Amino acid sequence: MVSEAGAPKWATQPCIMGIDEAGRGPVLGPMVYGCLYCPRSYQKTLASLNFADSKTLKEEKREELFENLKADESIGWDVDVIDPRELSAKMLKKNKINLNEISHESAIGLIKKVLNMGVLLTEVYLDTVGDAEKYRIKLSERFPAVKFVVSKKADSLYPVVSGASIVAKVTRDRALREWVLDETAENMHRNFGSGYPGDPETKAWLQRHKHSVFGFPTLVRFSWGTCTPYIKELVEVLWESDIDEDSSCGKQQLKLSNFGVTTSKRKSEEIESTGKGRCKFFQARKLQQLTHF
Amino acid sequence: MENGSHGSINLGGGGEAADMSGKVHLLPCSVKFDGACSVSQYFRPKPTELEVEGLRVDEAHFRGRKLQGTSIALPQGFSGFVLQKKGLGKRKASDMFEGSENCWETNAKFRNITYWKHDSLPSQHDTFLRSFHWLAVAKAMYLPVEAEELVAASIALDKMK
Repeated sequence: MVSEAGAPKWATQPCIMGIDEAGRGPVLGPMVYGCLYCPRSYQKTLASLNFADSKTLKEEKREELFENLKADESIGWDVDVIDPRELSAKMLKKNKINLNEISHESAIGLIKKVLNMGVLLTEVYLDTVGDAEKYRIKLSERFPAVKFVVSKKADSLYPVVSGASIVAKVTRDRALREWVLDETAENMHRNFGSGYPGDPETKAWLQRHKHSVFGFPTLVRFSWGTCTPYIKELVEVLWESDIDEDSSCGKQQLKLSNFGVTTSKRKSEEIESTGKGRCKFFQARKLQQLTHF
Repeated sequence: MENGSHGSINLGGGGEAADMSGKVHLLPCSVKFDGACSVSQYFRPKPTELEVEGLRVDEAHFRGRKLQGTSIALPQGFSGFVLQKKGLGKRKASDMFEGSENCWETNAKFRNITYWKHDSLPSQHDTFLRSFHWLAVAKAMYLPVEAEELVAASIALDKMK
């Protein structure tokens, strides 16, 4: 049953959990982490429920299996839906957080949540993100009481992970189907295809929905390599955080004003907001006398 | 250029200027574009629950970056103006440096402005907010000095010796 109601009756028995993700590759929409847990004693029954890696199943079959597992009183599940805005923002922060880190944090968040509910997790199975052994150590350090099995293709090896992959995939598909674009420009539509970079429908949608100043609707993950060729065609936007990064070799601090409207270089020490000759009051407030405009 | 240039700014005429209050944004980036743009369709600030140092925090996204900003009213007695050079586009670049051609007209007015930061919360220490201190300092500086104030100041100075 839905986990929101609190811990199920069997939570005090040793339990296993699988974690899997959906929507890691696509250039748009949320990335969803899903988990599924049940008593270890239920493992055999779980294997007979015909969960398979969600990618190998048809959409209707996935929906049906999701409804079945939701109705199953011996199964608990949960999801973490990571908004594309959050993905872009984290990956484009001054201190960038990469996708692997975001994925790790999401999985850790799910484990924490289930443990806090009072479920006695003894084994957790996950697909690897990055190096499997490093990931296993990271998780084991956080949760010493839990045994972690991190492996490639965990979603097809362990039914509990297959189940989690169904939870994640169905949640992402539904989120995309019901997605309401934040932007209100005319002639926008939602036929964005699978969101995978190679999908012609996705490509056509990106081409049509790019905006010279704003880039894309916030459904799109701006930080994806897929966006780069489109963004190159747009109006240039310079960020202080990027400028700092480019000049990281020297300790030279570049100001945004260097790229925008500037006065003549002469007398810049006296005129420019942070010029050496300026009164401290003006320096601290970046006030600058404008003699010509 | 050393001596500045002559020009005129027309803050009145041309009928009622549009009120842009609530629509003027200062972004923490340089957008290499100048012109009309469908801002309200794409730039969608939302209020948050956060309040820092008395500043209400709004959230918006631009080019994939998360921005946090706050709206502030312009100080009492001050107004914001969106200006446009008169007849811009028809003139040659060489005219730009001729004082007599430096005429500006009011396109719109505004009473508040939202300034945005990338990756950090707005704060009273932001240079943008602190720059308004100048208004109070300037006012005090240009205020006529009364005889009593001079007396009080010299007494204070004597005490310091």
